[in-house]
This record gives sequence, C-alpha cells and structure tokens, in this order.
Amino acid sequence: MKRLIMTAFAVAILSSAAYADTIKIGVIGPFSGPFALQGKNFKAGIDAWLAVNGNEIGGNDIQIVYRDVPQADPAQSKSLAQELIVREGVQYLAGFYFTPDAMAATPLLQQGNVPMVVMNAATSSIVTASPYVVRTSFTMWQNTTPIAKVAKDQGVTKVITLVSDYGPGIDAENAFKAAFEKEGGQVVEAIRMPLSTNDFAPLMQRVKDSGAEALFSFLPSGPPTLAFVKAYNDNGLKAAGIKFFATGDLTPESDLPALGDAALGLTTTYHYAVSHDSPENKAFVAAAQKAIGNPAELTFPAVGAYDGMYVISRMIEATGGKKDAKKAIEAVKGLAWTSPRGPVAIDPESRHITQNVYLREVAKDESGKYINKEIQTFEKQGDPGLAFVKK
Amino acid sequence: MTVASTDHSSAANLSIARRLADGGLIGALAIVVIGAIGYYLFPNNLALLTRMTAIALLVLSLDLVTGYCGVATLGHAALFGAGAYGAGIAAAHFGISEPLTMTLVGALTGSAAGLVSGVVILRAHGLAQLVLSIAVIHLFHEAANKASAWTGGSDGLSGIMPEAVFGLFEFDLWGQTAYIYGLVLLTVVFVALRILVRSPFGMLARGVREDRIRITAMGASVNSVLLRMYVISGAVAGIGGALSAISTQVVGLDSLSFTLSAEALVMLVLGGTGSLYGAMIGTMVFMWFEDTLSAINPFHWLTIIGALLVAVVLFAPKGLYGSTAGFVSRLRRGRG
Amino acid sequence: MQTVFSIAVDALAYGMVLFVISIGLSVTMGLMRVVNLAHGAFAMIGGYLASYAARDLGLGYAAGILVAVVGTVIIAIPIERLLYRRLYGATELTQVLMTIGITFCVIGITNFIFGPTLKTIPLPPALQGSVDLGFRSIAAHRLFAIVCGLIVAAALWFLIERTAFGIRLRAAVDNAAMAAALGVRTEIVYAVSFAVAIGLAALGGVLGAELLPVEPYYALRYMVTFLVVVSVGGAGSIPGALLACLLLGAIDTTGRYLAPEYGEFFFYLAVIVIVTLFPRGLLGRSK
Repeated sequence: MKRLIMTAFAVAILSSAAYADTIKIGVIGPFSGPFALQGKNFKAGIDAWLAVNGNEIGGNDIQIVYRDVPQADPAQSKSLAQELIVREGVQYLAGFYFTPDAMAATPLLQQGNVPMVVMNAATSSIVTASPYVVRTSFTMWQNTTPIAKVAKDQGVTKVITLVSDYGPGIDAENAFKAAFEKEGGQVVEAIRMPLSTNDFAPLMQRVKDSGAEALFSFLPSGPPTLAFVKAYNDNGLKAAGIKFFATGDLTPESDLPALGDAALGLTTTYHYAVSHDSPENKAFVAAAQKAIGNPAELTFPAVGAYDGMYVISRMIEATGGKKDAKKAIEAVKGLAWTSPRGPVAIDPESRHITQNVYLREVAKDESGKYINKEIQTFEKQGDPGLAFVKK
Repeated sequence: MTVASTDHSSAANLSIARRLADGGLIGALAIVVIGAIGYYLFPNNLALLTRMTAIALLVLSLDLVTGYCGVATLGHAALFGAGAYGAGIAAAHFGISEPLTMTLVGALTGSAAGLVSGVVILRAHGLAQLVLSIAVIHLFHEAANKASAWTGGSDGLSGIMPEAVFGLFEFDLWGQTAYIYGLVLLTVVFVALRILVRSPFGMLARGVREDRIRITAMGASVNSVLLRMYVISGAVAGIGGALSAISTQVVGLDSLSFTLSAEALVMLVLGGTGSLYGAMIGTMVFMWFEDTLSAINPFHWLTIIGALLVAVVLFAPKGLYGSTAGFVSRLRRGRG
Repeated sequence: MQTVFSIAVDALAYGMVLFVISIGLSVTMGLMRVVNLAHGAFAMIGGYLASYAARDLGLGYAAGILVAVVGTVIIAIPIERLLYRRLYGATELTQVLMTIGITFCVIGITNFIFGPTLKTIPLPPALQGSVDLGFRSIAAHRLFAIVCGLIVAAALWFLIERTAFGIRLRAAVDNAAMAAALGVRTEIVYAVSFAVAIGLAALGGVLGAELLPVEPYYALRYMVTFLVVVSVGGAGSIPGALLACLLLGAIDTTGRYLAPEYGEFFFYLAVIVIVTLFPRGLLGRSK
C-alpha cells in the first residue's frame, strides 16, 4: 500500500513536468511580521524580472507561489517547502531570507528533484549543504572582507568590532578579524550585542574607552540600526574622529530617509547599491520601484531575487521545462552575466555568486535624496568564508 | 465542583480498563479517525499535519499547567524547545538516531526543563508569574544561542538524520512515516493524559486551581502538586519537541522563543482551557487558519487572524470547545 | 569615576524613556486590571500620527505630539466602547487573547497603510545635537525625555492621589459595586482612565521614537519590555514604575557596558530575583 502511494506520487510529480506548460516556482520568505520589508523586496525583484522579460520562458508559463515564514523558523520553512514540492508541484524553490530556513529545506532537494536558488540567506555553509543549491545574494564574508582593506588604507590600525550576537554577526566579526589581521591591523576588542539591544549608548562608551581608532559593525537591517547610528553621533564618537566601518546592512536604502543626516559620510562595503550607475540597473530600478509601489522601500533583497529569476530562467531553458534538478544546476555552473549590480558569475565549484563588492559612502544626490554612493570597486570577489566551513 | 469531585473520586477507584473506556477511548478513537481522514483528504499536506501534531502536544502540555492548575505562563516553549534540542543534540552529536530513543530523550530533557521552569515560575502568581515565565523563556533562548557549539546557535541545529522506525519506515519527502509516528504519539499521550487528569492527582491539581487555601488545609502541598504537574507537562512538551526535531530534521531557536510560547497560549485559549479536547481543537483551528490564510495572501493574513481572535472572545468567550460544549449541554437540558 | 557617571547618565536617560512609554500600561493593568498587550500598538499609532503630522504635513514637533495624543485617544474610544468594555473583570487569559488579536490587526493595518519601512519624527532644532554636561555629552532629545518623564510622573501622581477623580478611580478599582452604590459612575471613570492611559502610550511612542523607532512590528517587538517594567514596579503604582524603570535601566545599561555578550542574562536574572523578592512589584498596591 505504502509503496503504491509512493509510486503514485512519484508518477504524479514526474508526469506533471512532462506535459506541463505552466512551471511553478515556490518562493519562501518573510512576507509578514518584522521582516515584511525584505519579503516585499523579494516580490518586487521577481515581479520586476517578470515585467521586463515577460511571463514566459521557453514556451512555458511561469507561476510564482509565495509562502510566508515571518521569522526564522526552520520547522515551518521545511514543512512549507515540502508542501510546495509535493502538493503544489513546484519545479524550483527560491527565496529564503534566513539561513536556518534555507538549511532546513536542503534535505528535500535531492528526493524532490528540485533546485534551490537562495536569494538572500548569507551564511557561507548553505551551498555546501546540498549540491542542488545556487546562491545569487552574498555572504557575510564576501561583503565584510574588503572593508578591512579600506580601514587599513585609511591608516587605521586599531579597530573595535561590534556585531549582533547571532550567526551572521559572528560571521562578520570573524571575517573582519581575519582580513584585518592579514593586513597587519589589530582588533582591540570584539563585542557581541544581543539582537534585542535597543539602547547603544553604553556600548558607545565602551568604544571610547577601548582606545580604538575606528569601529566595525554589523547589525541586521531594521530598527536597531537606526538607534545604533544615532548613538554613534549622539555620544560624540563622530566628533571624536572615531571612524565608522560597516557592511551595507547598516545603511540599506529603505532606512536612509529615516537615518537622515546622521548617516552622511558613513562608509560601508556591499554588493549592491540602488544608485549603481549602469543601464542594467536603471532598467531594474525602474521596474522594481514600480513593482514595490513605494520607491523608497526598494533595497538589496530585490536584486538577489531579480538575479535569482534570471538563473531560474536559464535553468528552465536548459532543461526544456522538464523537471531535472541535476541538469538545471549543471547548466548554470559558470554562468556569467551583467546583473544590475555589475558583472557577476556563478562559481562552478561552490555555486555561489562571484561579484564586485563596492565601497560606498552615504551622500545626497542632486535631488537631495540620500544614497549609497559607490566610490571604490573590489572586483570579482568570491566567498572567502567557504574555507572556514566545517566539513 | 463538590458534586463533580465525589463523582470522580469514585471513578478513580475503578479499574484501569474502565477508566480507559471512560471517554478516553472515544477521544483516542476520534484522534485516529480524524488523523486518517486527514491522511486521505490531504495526502500532500502531511508536513503541515505533522507540525500540527507536534504543536498539539505543546498545547496539551500547556493545558496541563494553565488549564488544569491555573498557572499563567508565556514561557512554555522552553519545555518544547528543550525536548527538540535534547532529541536533536542526541542525534547530531551522540549518534542516537533511533526515533523512539530520540523521543524518549526529548521527554527526559523536556521534563528537566519543566522542573527548572516550574521551580522559577511557581514562585509567584498572576502578573508576576507571567513575567517570571517570560524571563525564563528568554534565558533559555539566550542560553541556546550562546551554546552554539552544541545547538548551532541562530543557524539552527542541522545534521539530524533519524533512522527508520523499527528499521522499516523511512522518514522521507512525503512525510507519511513522520505523520503516522506523530499520530501514534499523540494518541498514546492523549490516553495517558486522560487517565492522569481523572486520577486523584489530576483532581488535586484542579483543586489547586479552584481554591489553593482549601487544598493546603486538606494537608496537600500545593507547590509539590504543581511542580509534579510541571515535570509531567515537560515530558509531554518534550515529546512534541522531539517529534518536531525528528520530522523536520532541524531545530531552530524559534522552538525556544517567546513567540512560540505566546502562540501556544493563544491556541489553548482559542480552543478552551481546562479540556484536552479544547487544546487539540484550538491547535487544529489556529494552524489550519494560519496555513490557509497565509497561502491565500502571504502579505496580510495576520490582520484576519487578529480579527478571528477578537471574534472568538466576543462570541465564544470560553473558547471554541468550551462554548460549543456549553451550548450543546444547554440544548440538551432545554430538551430534557 | 567618569565612566561611572557616564553610565549613570545613560541609565537615567534609558530608564526615563522606558517610564514614559510604560506608565500608561501600569494604569491599565494596575488600576483597571486589564492585561493590555495592545499597549505597544497604541504607542505605535501615536508614533505614526506624529510622524505624519510633523514630517508629511510639516506641522512641527509640538503639533506632532498633540496630534498623536489626541488622535490616538480618538481612535481608541470606539475600540474601548466595543471591545475593551467586555474585558473589565474578565480572566487574564481572555484579556490576553483579545488584546493580542487587536495587536495583530493593528500591525496588519499599519503595514498595509504605511508600508514596512521605519518612520521618523523630525526633531526641532533645539532637540537635535548634543548637550555638554561637562564630563560628557548627551543627546538633547534624551534630556527632553527625562524632563517629560518627570512631569508625567508628577502629574499622574497628583491626579490619582490628590484629586476627586483619583479618589473615584481608586474606589472603583477597589470595589466597583460599592463605588457605584455610593454614586460613582464607574463606567465614565473607567473610560476616562482608559483615555488617559492611551494618551500616555501615544506620548511615550513619540518621545521614545529616537530609541525605539516607529515601524509596524513595534506593537509586538517591545511588548515584553513594557510588561516586565510594569510588573517589576508594581502595576498601578506611579512611584513604583518610576523606581522600576530607573533600576532596570541601571541594570541593563551597566550590564551592557560591562558584559554586552551576557546583557540578556543579566537583565532577566535580575527580573527573576526582583519579582521573586517582591511578588507584587517594588511598590505594588496590596489587594
């Protein structure tokens, strides 16, 4: 009986691909709750891609099925992924804002014959969890490593690091320390702040007392970044000449209007700025801003989603719309194209995206809007974090 | 109350077999029948149904302390999470991946967590108790975040590969094994709890909720009753946690979160406190609604869930099960 | 020594911001006996209204505060008439269910109307920048929050302890039936106290916005903090809430300075100790 049902399922899944002209893509992300903004950006990136390239790939209609995981919740993510594969019959899984949510779904990929395109989750180890994972976003290591060089180039030798006390924060701390010490600098103190921290004044006092010439920080984008940047200004650190280095998570475009003048002059490294100057980006921004409704809400997860859709479209073309995860993944290994963020490629070894990382400074453009102005480019950055993944 | 208690103390003297028949079997049968209906109606939705079963165990466990003993807690996920991490760590670090053993480990770590939280939470009443429970869940959560070498921290504990049940039934993509395994656990736990709440100990616990002073005057130690109930409750929640770890093969910090605790309480109150049926119905209704609404509109479903909760308070103040049961008995009395 | 002073100032500022936001909840929970988990939702509505008035309409900060307080109370009145009235005297669990439901609705609706980004309330020039205290500088808006907190505390204490309304309120709380028999119109007393509590929530939402920025999830994000503050102080006690905020502010700030990694542990262990020692809160009203 059991075998019979299993066979029936298997047949249903395989046959659905054979003569289907609608290909479903399941997208899991935070569409409500505290991270709704990021989920909205996923959708905007996907909608923008569909608006530019049409709703049809190689003669197949594309249908996107969204599922909501409001906060990191691997159990829910896994059961939704299972539902998407088994009940909705999706051929591709995509999205995933949080690392544990992506990790939880990886064991399903092989059995379900479904590739996963990670559009945000930024821990290096995800791509090693299954050979069916491709990532089009970034990793903490990738975005953090260049800023250590920037700090050194500006003549800074002593840095204090302040990161949120959870996976990505610890990644950022380790990445910065490794890169900065390689440059010959010294991390005088490494502070991990609970995620729930909302008053940063005592920590700024700590920074002052540490004798560091600069601080490096990572916090996930959201309300605390605002309080953090304000605390940096209000407690006289800016006035005292202590430099501020961070990843772009602290200055996403969606937070810049709220940060206002407090953020002017902050330097961050990141893989994407909405203000990036290229024809590809202009087209993307125009479409994505239209898709998201309020242009001020557009920020980094959208570009990961947009490029994710490009990768999926190439997979669909390569497999002729048939369900064949292995072939799909093989087809995009080494794939190179010009993304809105600049030239990118899927590294055939790790299946992670190789891309430029930019040094940016918060500034005002001609119309008085706050932007992350790109001032230096670090070309073709891979993911240095992969070397540290526990095997 | 007095009438009921004499009625049940005599029931307590009956044989186990009689007690099993005394409603417990009907309930167990109901679980099996509903479970089977779920299996055939939603064969592609077993992952959700399994998650429901795991959460139902958590809500049942919460009902033991909140519904039966009157303890207000917003930190009950500590027990569930302890079970999940216990089973998960046993599998990922110690190679104990036999599902029944994992479940047992979950029950044990759950009871240990129940003992610890009980000791802290039972030191106050009412609002203060609520706040103690909040402090407890945050401490558990933070401890798990800190011990990332063991728990995987915020990235989640992965690498849990449960063996096949009895070496025969694999946990696979379609989730039939996980579902049936969960259903069996739920049925067994339900029957055990049914016996428990009708036992003299169960009546004592109810007595504590109704009138502490009288129980003390009777010579029973209120705190020891409550603490024992907390340990039992921990075992039940721990089994739920273990089921979640086994079926999803990953454990995240959310299983030790305030959010999950609050959701469990909402499900319990929604179904109706102080009744095992209420706990299960609340879980089923809430999670089914959540899943359906969030699939229809992943962006704005929260608003409708909120409205649903408000509506329940307005129109079914004793919870879905409590109010329906009350309505039915009024109908019957009206006829008789 | 300078560091100690510096931490003390931070602690005071943080504690007072907490006080302004939580004191309204202390009124609802202590005097009206409603576990109002939607308190944060009302604070958030205040923040949004102020942001709209001050930033989008350009009315300025003072007008923003006024719009926030008045507007939030106006929004709250029908909610009180329709929903909260059923909660007076209901069990805690029922109150929790209903007020969480209201919070979910408010979050969903704000997300729909205002979108998920952070909203700011532009400060007037006088409150921007820092003030030099001699040994360190402090943000001007934090000083303003401290002053506002003290004024609110004094005014509330006067209202409850020294006015005829306060006497009626306390009578209605202690024994509603008896108070009604003596001619106190308890319904009106309750409605007015609810309005005061909501107004305070809105005020807190605006004053605290620099620290706790306004966004849709505000309503749930800080709920636990508010609950903890109120119960540590003793629900319904104004001096208790003040003391609790200063104490918790001090513990939190010191913990964060000395051992940021273990800040959460410090805070919640302290809460357990305090609540165990003072089950009714530091200065709770005995029943």
